[in-house]
Amino acid sequence: MRLWNILRLRSRTLVRRERVESDLERELRFHLDQQTAENIAAGMPPSEARRAAIRRLGGYTQIQEECRDMRRTNHIENFRRDLRYALRMLRANPGFTVVIVLTLALAIGANSAIFSVIDGVLLRPLPYPQAGRLARVFFHNANWPKFPLNPWDFRDFRARLRSFESLAGFTRGDLQLSGAGRPERFTGFKVTAGYFHALGIQPARGREFNANDEIPGNGQVVILSDRLWRERFGADPHILGRKIVLDSRPFTVAGVMPPDTEHPGNSYHGVAQGRTVDLWWPFTFEGNPNERGSHFLEVLGRLKPGVTAVQAQAEMNTVIAELRRVHPEALSGWQARIVPLYDEIVGPSRRLLLVLLGAVGLVLLIACANAANLLLARATVRRRELAVRAAMGADRWRLVSQMLAESLLIATIGGGLGILIAAGGVRVLVALLPAGFPRADTIQINGVVLAFTAGIALATGFLFGLAPALQSARTDLQESLREGARGATSGGGALRLRSTLLVGEVALACLLLTAAGLMLRSFVNLLRTDPGFRPEHLLTATIGLPDKTYKPIDMVHFWTRLNASLDSVAGIRAAGIGTDLPWTGWDDNIGGFTIEGKNPPPHQEFHARYHVASPDYFRALGISLVRGRFFAGSDTAKAPPVMIINQAMARRYWPDEDAVGKRITFEDHPKPQDWLTVVGIVGDVKDRPDSPEAQNSMWWPIEQTPIYVNQMSVVLRGISDAGLLANDLREAVHQLDPTLAVAEIRPMDSIADANISLPRFALFLVMLFAGLALTLAAIGIYGVISYSVSRRTHEFGLRMALGAKPGDVLALVLRQGVRLALLGVVLGLAGALVLGRVLWSLLYQVRAADPLTYLAVAALAMAVAALACYVPAQRATSVEPARALHSD
Amino acid sequence: MGKPSDLIQGTLDLLILRTISAEPKHGWAIAKRIEQVSQDVLQITQGALYPALHRLEQQGWIRSFWKKTETGREAKFYELTKAGRAQLNKELAQWERLSNAVGLVIRMAED
Repeated sequence: MRLWNILRLRSRTLVRRERVESDLERELRFHLDQQTAENIAAGMPPSEARRAAIRRLGGYTQIQEECRDMRRTNHIENFRRDLRYALRMLRANPGFTVVIVLTLALAIGANSAIFSVIDGVLLRPLPYPQAGRLARVFFHNANWPKFPLNPWDFRDFRARLRSFESLAGFTRGDLQLSGAGRPERFTGFKVTAGYFHALGIQPARGREFNANDEIPGNGQVVILSDRLWRERFGADPHILGRKIVLDSRPFTVAGVMPPDTEHPGNSYHGVAQGRTVDLWWPFTFEGNPNERGSHFLEVLGRLKPGVTAVQAQAEMNTVIAELRRVHPEALSGWQARIVPLYDEIVGPSRRLLLVLLGAVGLVLLIACANAANLLLARATVRRRELAVRAAMGADRWRLVSQMLAESLLIATIGGGLGILIAAGGVRVLVALLPAGFPRADTIQINGVVLAFTAGIALATGFLFGLAPALQSARTDLQESLREGARGATSGGGALRLRSTLLVGEVALACLLLTAAGLMLRSFVNLLRTDPGFRPEHLLTATIGLPDKTYKPIDMVHFWTRLNASLDSVAGIRAAGIGTDLPWTGWDDNIGGFTIEGKNPPPHQEFHARYHVASPDYFRALGISLVRGRFFAGSDTAKAPPVMIINQAMARRYWPDEDAVGKRITFEDHPKPQDWLTVVGIVGDVKDRPDSPEAQNSMWWPIEQTPIYVNQMSVVLRGISDAGLLANDLREAVHQLDPTLAVAEIRPMDSIADANISLPRFALFLVMLFAGLALTLAAIGIYGVISYSVSRRTHEFGLRMALGAKPGDVLALVLRQGVRLALLGVVLGLAGALVLGRVLWSLLYQVRAADPLTYLAVAALAMAVAALACYVPAQRATSVEPARALHSD
Repeated sequence: MGKPSDLIQGTLDLLILRTISAEPKHGWAIAKRIEQVSQDVLQITQGALYPALHRLEQQGWIRSFWKKTETGREAKFYELTKAGRAQLNKELAQWERLSNAVGLVIRMAED
């Protein structure tokens, strides 16, 4: 009730100002009339009575003012007046207004755009209920920091771990649908019972998989994504229980997931986080529970409420120690490791995003310094006006608040425009982001971003407004009135402040330029690095053979026949088939083997990634032959076993000898036919363009493969545009088997491009911000120097009158500006040396303290500074002595 | 300025609240009443009265309305609100405690 009364009164004071004022007037007049009447009754003459009454009351207008103060709305009133005044000032100086508002709008907009990325990727909780309790579980050992689990190990973990409410495994398992129309392959995952329960998502229709579905032979059920259900099955309401043929096997539809079901992302045959999965089917536990060498199941779990990752980790350590007693060999050297799902998804991009936020934050600081500089310049022009107002009795706080009103108004307009810039910027950013960047689809301008923008706009307004406001409030009245009258030679305080701001601006710009320079060098290194293959005119695709219709030997025959028919297509220079493609992720297949005549160092075994390749696989990819020979048609199942290794493996195991002709075996007790002879050494291809080095690798010829080759990649080197070969490939495949889908048809150069898109994205933004920073700093230098020149017109005139040449004056002004800029450059580079370490993990073959970059930045910054000084310096030399001495 | 020289602000508030606790009064009447009751010992500076009234109103202790006086002129009257009455009782109790304590100290000093 009381609060309501107070609110009512305050708003009345604000809204019905005239009424409240006239009430006060009437109230006080009533008092005076009463006092006057009393005075007359006491015998005073009427005129004297009135004066005495006013004396007794004590200052009519003062009381009015005090009453207004009591109403506590005075400051709002004042603020309204200040804003109106500020608006008038801005309108009166359109040039000034446009420069300062645009600068801020750009800086604020860039900040909001980057922040919206941070918000979408880092700040927003993952799209699962109580996502903080979700975690990934890996194995790790000395060689592999994050490795998938063996299914049986997973099953033992699931049975024993008490820290988890539920634990689930998943592994990539695409399925192809043939029938009407072109066969198509869908991105699928095999998941264990309760996978969706662990994620906290319920199927929109039907059920999820249970323990019964995990039994071998029972796994013929499928859960569809909402997208697949709508696009391929016309959102059929009776889809549950319907039979569909996938990979030539009948599946029963058990459920449909809701539209917002998001895949948590994975690394082994990875699929990006998001709505990237089309269907799920049960993971079945096949084979012998005691054979645990094969690791391919990815694991995630939901921790019980109140259980921390550390507690779960401790329990896993205990459990794995128990399991090791039962399976000493399989678990030797392995440890389990828990990683919160959030860290797993956004961890790798966090540093990059924070660096970008830091960079764009520096731009905002520079923009603030610039705005402060411009305001200071203006404040100097308005010195006399302010001095007069102060002399008329305006108190200092009122002057400060009036200046602040102006800067806040500028910042608000800047912020408003900034939002528009951000809205456009976010679209560009999202478009520039590499495909598969985690959570890119959640990036948008939302309430949080708006609030952030409002916040930084206000903070900016205070930041750049406060210094000039205080400066002008501190103005010494007498001095500035006198100074104003005399054309200003002193006022050193403002110039000192402006010079400090300028040095700061240059330093911050140098910091950004250094970052941009380092990233540019790193990017150039990346582009210059020989990838080890030639991506031009190269088409890639993947084909899977359903194991229902293909026995292992049929698979081998299919691939050799396909390769032969591709060889005969005109326009194909070389066609190859292999298990892997460069730069598309890797499968940590590691085979322990024995090298003839060598013993592995203690606690280590010989290992290399193993692959399968057709004779022309390397030639088609453009991978060079270092020694020996490629595979040939004669390397058949009946021929002596051979293999090709890469240089990394040759260097590692035969450092001082020729590896060609050497033999290895995978058998513990090899028979003569179990020895494989190295027939060729090929050039290295790294996992990613910025990987430090290539991994040991070996290849079997297709016809001698000991591993299952149900899914292979095809590489076709064309004479010109490789895209034209897609139809030839489909035709060749469908002539052999019309039910097969040709999936992931991509030119190799788009794969190569995707691999450098993240560093390119970072480079583009940091260069953009550095360019912005340098421009702002140049404007700042220009502003300060022209201001200083304009105040020294008198002095220059005098110097020239006394015989100084224009060149002398030019040098004088340049020296002043260059000295400040130099100080800024030195400070900025020193700062860059300290902060450079932040960039370290984003750099490729560049040291954070790269001298060339530092030199180039210093040279560029000084050149721009000199240019920014030159224009006002030039103006100084054109002073006509006579006019200068008479000016003002 | 309009600061009461011999009255601390809180005391003026208390006097105003007490003065209008019986019936609504306008500013002039409040000033007169305080002077009269205190036998002109408490000469309040009239100028301080109005800001105090406006403050009390803003705080919600009192409310104002326009009414004709006996002489037929419109004047702004002030009366206690419910919250104001509670506030008055609280301040009175506080005042009693304080003045008792001061009296006690003075008498003890005399002994």
